[in-house]
Amino acid sequence: MKKIKEITTRLKIAKSKINNMEEKNSGSNAASLGKALKISTELVASVFVGSIMGFLLDSWFGTKPLLTICFFFIGVAAGIINVFRAAKKMNKNYKLD
Amino acid sequence: MALNPMHQFEVYKIGPEINLNGINLSFTNASLFMTISSLLILSLLFLGTKKKSLIPSKIQLVTEMSYTFVAKMINDTAGSSAKSFFPFIFTLFMFVLFCNMVGMLPYSFTVTSHIIVTFALATLVFIGVTIIGFIKHGFKYLELFVPKGVPIVLLPLIIVIEIISYLSRPVSLSVRLFANMMAGHTMMKVFGGFVISLGLLGGWLPLGFSVALTGLEMLVAFLQAYVFAILTCIYLNDALNLHH
Repeated sequence: MKKIKEITTRLKIAKSKINNMEEKNSGSNAASLGKALKISTELVASVFVGSIMGFLLDSWFGTKPLLTICFFFIGVAAGIINVFRAAKKMNKNYKLD
Repeated sequence: MALNPMHQFEVYKIGPEINLNGINLSFTNASLFMTISSLLILSLLFLGTKKKSLIPSKIQLVTEMSYTFVAKMINDTAGSSAKSFFPFIFTLFMFVLFCNMVGMLPYSFTVTSHIIVTFALATLVFIGVTIIGFIKHGFKYLELFVPKGVPIVLLPLIIVIEIISYLSRPVSLSVRLFANMMAGHTMMKVFGGFVISLGLLGGWLPLGFSVALTGLEMLVAFLQAYVFAILTCIYLNDALNLHH
């Protein structure tokens, strides 16, 4: 009888230890590396899309360099907003932990 | 030719040329390795679920782990309302993961190192998510482009910025996967070339680097599949629960 009780308490301790470890590992290294890789391309992609959009609009309206330049800068702004949002999301998650 | 680090990315056709109304539909090495990846996934899932024992065998364990991994990911990032999209995200994750991992084998071809493949996958996700958003919210979905609390004067600029930011999703999704895979495989090939050209005397250092890079590439291969799937979940979450 005593042995069974001992085993149950030991099991409880082991289980709580595993739970603790899982909670700590929820923001593991791999996930944060993934986030870092995500942010780096976010900035470039917006600039690229903005420039392409400006270029297409330019060839439609025949205002050759003007819209490309404008949309390049708007793309930069969009990229910065994207990175800012991603960072904000991360911060929120971090505080919740 | 063997030392050219970009030679591994060459697409060539296997078997006869198939031409359909001027569209080249020949079976290439890319199609071959996509088929191999799909067959590997199918056989893993088939073998893993064939004998459902309480104490799982190794293959059943792997299958169950991949299931719980994706299910947990969807639940954490997109909420329980996205549960019905599990099959799609699971397929996407497993396909990208297996394409990356099959590409790690010597003499194989990495399908995901071609931007057209990753861009097709990302565009599929992008169009799908947009359609889901419109079905779920109707024209209210366009509110995604109008953040709350913005002065009217700034609104035209903000809307253009938001539209560009929305359109950049498939580009960033595809470029990330493609660039990581291509850069990693090029680097491995370059270091492999150093081993041969430096010979028995000096080749040991790049050989060590090659081994380390292989480990790193394994991590990147898994990580990129994970990031691809998790971003799909995040976009799905944006479409299902409309708020910033």
